Amino acid sequence: MFETDSHEANLLARASLDHCVKCTICETQCPVMAVTPAFSGPKYVGPQAERYRHGLSVDHSLDYCSSCGTCTLVCPQGVKIAELNSVARAAMKKDHMPLRDRIISRTTLMGTFGDPVAPIANAVLGFAPARWAVEQVVGIHRDAAMPTFRTQTFTSWWKKHTSPTPTRGKVVYFHGCAGQYFEVETSIKAVEVLERLGFEVLVPKQGCCGLAAQSNGLFDTARDWVTKLSHQLGVEPGTPIVAASASCVGMLKHEAREIMGVEDPALIDVGTRIRDLCEFLLELSEAGELNLDFHPIEMTVPYHAPCQLKGQGMGKPAIDVLRLIPGLTVIDAQATCCGIAGTYGLKKEKYAVGQAVGKPLFDKVKEVNPELAVCDTETCRWQIAKSTGATVVHPIWLIHKSIFGE
Amino acid sequence: MTDTIVIGGGLAGLAAAIRLAQAGQSVTLLQYGVGGLQLGQGTVDVLGYAPELVSDPFAGLDAYVGGHKGHPYSLFSPDEIKASVDWFAGLLPDLLVPGDGQNHRVPTALGAMRPTYIVQSSMHVPADVTSVAIVGLRQLKDFYPKMCAENLAKTSGWATSPYWLDFPARAGGVDSTATSYATDLDDPDTLARFAAALKKAIGNEDAVGLPAILGLRNPQVWSVLAEAVGKPVFEIHLGPPGIPGMRLTHELTQEALRLGVRVILGSKVIGFESEGGRISGVLHQQAGRDKVYKADNFVYAGGGFESGSLAMDSYGVVTETLFGLPLAMGQGDSGPLPSHEDLITGDYWADQGLFLAGLAVDSAMKPLDGKTAVYDNLHVAGGILAGAIRWSEKSGDGIAIASAVRAADAILDAQSAKQPRNEGKE
Repeated sequence: MFETDSHEANLLARASLDHCVKCTICETQCPVMAVTPAFSGPKYVGPQAERYRHGLSVDHSLDYCSSCGTCTLVCPQGVKIAELNSVARAAMKKDHMPLRDRIISRTTLMGTFGDPVAPIANAVLGFAPARWAVEQVVGIHRDAAMPTFRTQTFTSWWKKHTSPTPTRGKVVYFHGCAGQYFEVETSIKAVEVLERLGFEVLVPKQGCCGLAAQSNGLFDTARDWVTKLSHQLGVEPGTPIVAASASCVGMLKHEAREIMGVEDPALIDVGTRIRDLCEFLLELSEAGELNLDFHPIEMTVPYHAPCQLKGQGMGKPAIDVLRLIPGLTVIDAQATCCGIAGTYGLKKEKYAVGQAVGKPLFDKVKEVNPELAVCDTETCRWQIAKSTGATVVHPIWLIHKSIFGE
Repeated sequence: MTDTIVIGGGLAGLAAAIRLAQAGQSVTLLQYGVGGLQLGQGTVDVLGYAPELVSDPFAGLDAYVGGHKGHPYSLFSPDEIKASVDWFAGLLPDLLVPGDGQNHRVPTALGAMRPTYIVQSSMHVPADVTSVAIVGLRQLKDFYPKMCAENLAKTSGWATSPYWLDFPARAGGVDSTATSYATDLDDPDTLARFAAALKKAIGNEDAVGLPAILGLRNPQVWSVLAEAVGKPVFEIHLGPPGIPGMRLTHELTQEALRLGVRVILGSKVIGFESEGGRISGVLHQQAGRDKVYKADNFVYAGGGFESGSLAMDSYGVVTETLFGLPLAMGQGDSGPLPSHEDLITGDYWADQGLFLAGLAVDSAMKPLDGKTAVYDNLHVAGGILAGAIRWSEKSGDGIAIASAVRAADAILDAQSAKQPRNEGKE
């Protein structure tokens, strides 16, 4: 057998590389290649370079791949280009993983230490000399978007919360790290809408999905976390699992398996049961079971579908759900990527690339509604907010407002 | 509720989706990857060679079809084909220029003159041009002005002169793609610098031919450049990534989205459900699970062998891979296919019989088993239709558009027959 995480161990993705017909469609859609010559593009570093990687890393420009997954999404031949690149990058970084990449992938740890001292932590992150020092020492760009720490976590709200009497089945709510520590309001609104629909919401103790660790090439850590989480979320057999973080949903649905080869039965079970929040609401709507009264919101908002949502190959459910709100006009920004790609756009050497990748989106947001934009994933929201000045919310904010009128 | 699901985002799928949405239907388009349409030339062929060069693709069509039993064009009158491609050109009036009954002839990168019916406005060469500057870029792969110019001198009747322009797409670029140039020229400042350099590089020819790099999203690039150099400018298509193909794909997709078509990219349709001779839903292989999409009607525009809708296995058995539909060698044929020894010949350039294989359909584009439609609400369009070797006669785009329009109209006709207007009853 091959060494874990070696290029050769990546059999699933490697099996697809002979399907590459060199058509260049991935190159034409790659948002990084479009803005920098530092990245030689998904076709070169993916199916082409992979043939020459006999245990060696042959093309270091691969580190500029943001793992947005656009190449795999647009490939008409089914080549797992982004997956090949993610594995190759993990193998390349294995022996010299930057300290920074170890820190920024520990999202739970950040929240655990930051939230109890939220005002101080937020002040430090907003203090230019401190950010300069962080850039020098750790390598996180001084202008990169940072989350805001909250004084109350989602689970502390949940413990005090009184649920209405359920009128239909159960759902398990997966809040994710951001929904626990930084985007607490999003989790609360999601739970309130699910309860208004009559569901009994269950919130089992849960950890991190490991996505940030995976995208930084820390596969051992990511495998441990995603496996542990799958066992935590899978407690109620057959029950739908719902989450408001589209990228963590993608990790559980397919990325952990396709990129890191995790075959734990708990992950496979959870991966078939988990739904992105808007995907779940759309399914109810299609079945005629979305028994909600939508009140009008007279507004036009731009919407950005995150890469890891698009990568699930189910279209853009948020647009279909938001269009149920009378008076609301949703403009699909149709941008490829916001440029943050998880933690990519934070890094000092990639910050400018990330900003250039996101520019068409930022321009679109400013054009359509400079006050408010909508997006399903946290890091993308922080990136868009920081780069445009707009408030950027999860679609559930508008759905919640339309139903509860607040 | 979705009225119609279209499978495939190439020329046929997009045309059918747009036609249905124009009539007010709710349409979902399921697309596995970005379609091969962007790998094409961004033009629309109707009939280019029969096998001799065709000037009027409609006038000779009856005779051509008469000599090619089972050709997909036998399902349409020449007038209907013309009406369909003209409708298509009218979707993007700023981008597309139909040939007014005659094929255009546009230069290729190798210096041949290619016949095609609809060109993009940036490719059109005015009729009064007699001398042409052919300009290559030092940093751009795949375009050699001397070869192109020398061959064009033999094929076009123009006096041609080759020039090299030293203009990196990006600072330090030595091996740039057409995509880099096109996106950079979208920027007005870069375009102005390019125009100044171009003007200085060329002589007093009537017109300028450039590789197809003249802007991806900014439709003004070509006309701004022509104005700046003071003479007509035209683009010459390159191999993939081809800018005109990308432009056509983008604009058509935008038109579909504008009309409310829901486009779902990235997952494959892998199965279906049927009930009482009708398709009730298709199975879509998304991350984590397979989802059923239900609709009243289905248009299957998944392409041919190159897209995997038709496949030949290692035993030489040819199948249609999604619905398992019966195969034929042409329209009016009821199969079965000849053996693989007869479908493939050892002569690479000979007409390979394999490319005739596909589906035979009725007048509503419903695939047939013998003389009976296999499913009452399944219609097909495009490259999957049996009976034409599209690449040698240059007919693939016309077949795709005519069959997409017919499939969409058949669905709309059946819909209005089912819901008669209550005229005169009130």
